[in-house]
Amino acid sequence: MTIHSGAEPYGKTGTWWFLSSEIPTFGAVLVAYIVLRLGSAGWAESSAHLNFNIALINTFILLTSSMTIVMAHAAAQDGDYGKTAKFLGLTVLLGLGFLAMKALEYSGEIAHGFLPSSGIFWSFYYGMTGLHALHVLAGIIVNLILWIQALNGRLANHPHRVEYAGLYWHFVDIVWIFLFPLLYLA
Amino acid sequence: MSNAHSRHYLAIWYWLMALVILSVAAASTLPKLQAMVLIFSVAIVKAFLVARYYMHLKHERVIIYAIALVPLAFVVIFLFGLFPDFVFHATKP
Repeated sequence: MTIHSGAEPYGKTGTWWFLSSEIPTFGAVLVAYIVLRLGSAGWAESSAHLNFNIALINTFILLTSSMTIVMAHAAAQDGDYGKTAKFLGLTVLLGLGFLAMKALEYSGEIAHGFLPSSGIFWSFYYGMTGLHALHVLAGIIVNLILWIQALNGRLANHPHRVEYAGLYWHFVDIVWIFLFPLLYLA
Repeated sequence: MSNAHSRHYLAIWYWLMALVILSVAAASTLPKLQAMVLIFSVAIVKAFLVARYYMHLKHERVIIYAIALVPLAFVVIFLFGLFPDFVFHATKP
């Protein structure tokens, strides 16, 4: 049973409240990065050492996972839990793919001697992408639980959960939409 | 899931992919300032597409917009509040 406040399920409003607390969290870090980068020299040289190709692949992966989870939401609304499970499973795999590529990127950078202590750019780089990766991991865990619930039929009692998980996942995607140009294109 | 929904979400995905390619092309072909303006404009458009169509903000009530936009406004105020600091006291190379 879903508890409603007027036309809106409480869960959805609660998810938006949670996301509204995440906006200043990432916003403060991104603003600090922008301000320091514009006010200092040498950051572009540091960012040239990042692995652009991996970041581009990860951008495609995360944007595609946003599409798969919205498909899962649409399938759940239609009561088609077989399709919901399929799209949730794809979202989990894409999320794991993102983290695997990120780990590959980190290992290359660390192998070249670029550590969080290598300079303020690298501190920001590892801090921002690490915080984002933790959010991706949290999303994967939630999506995995929903995928299991879709397979065993328990999701039919709580179809709105796919929408709430989707809202969170899209937010994580939007954060990456800004991290990618800030770190790899600017 | 209706085919109309699927097609709609796929169309948004195609747009997102095309915009990523546009950003990358801009970074490698345009002069720095023009590239930056285009790249961050495209990032805002991509975020708008995800929020409006994938997060269904298009169909949400005013309260949801308020919950999402008030903290975003504080972040923007924070950014522009700090602008004078790096415009007038920036370290030059």
